Amino acid sequence: MMIPDAMLAWVVNTILIAGIIGFGVSFFFGYVVRWLPSIAPYHLLIQVISIILLVSGVYFKGGYSVEMEWRAKVAELETKIAVSEQQSKDANTKLEEAVKEKNKAIKDKQVVVQTKIKEVTKIIDAECKVSPEVINILNQAGSKK
Amino acid sequence: MKFLTLLPIVLLTGCLANTPVKRTFPEVPEELKVACPDLRTLEPTTKMSEVVSVVASNYGQYQECQIKVDTWIEWYKTQKQIFDSVK
Repeated sequence: MMIPDAMLAWVVNTILIAGIIGFGVSFFFGYVVRWLPSIAPYHLLIQVISIILLVSGVYFKGGYSVEMEWRAKVAELETKIAVSEQQSKDANTKLEEAVKEKNKAIKDKQVVVQTKIKEVTKIIDAECKVSPEVINILNQAGSKK
Repeated sequence: MKFLTLLPIVLLTGCLANTPVKRTFPEVPEELKVACPDLRTLEPTTKMSEVVSVVASNYGQYQECQIKVDTWIEWYKTQKQIFDSVK
């Protein structure tokens, strides 16, 4: 599960800002210590920590930017995929309707043909008798074996 | 201090997060999932009308099966075009 964007931004920016402030304080320590004399013994500590935070903040800021770029790409791709899925569904609906229409046309034609055969049954049977070999050959041709 | 050492690890888990983009395989119309039926065979008979009837019926079955195959081809071409359009 991804860490939310807002939380990531908050953490990264906090580190970076803390680093900048700490670096500023350590750089102008002489002026700052006049206002806050209690921090005088911690000059070196503030310097070290602020540099670490500043470097880390810049590093994480870069990483954050890359992460957000990738998330934007993922979001864009997901949008495109959603559009393509809808296009697929629409295409399927069109094909289904086309197939149903064509099958109906064939079935209707079959009804007409079979009706015509029934109408002329006597004429066909009177003029032609089929030998059993014909039945065997046709069945052989129509079977899968 | 402990919090500071844990912080980078917390941030790195965001980098490790895998967000694969999921794509679902498109559905096929139900009519196309039904196999073509076997051809009708003839009962022993001497009547030409019965032979003609079965043969005409088999022609119809073939045409329905032909539509099915043609639709499969069209389905594949359409879905492939849609699939390739997403980059």
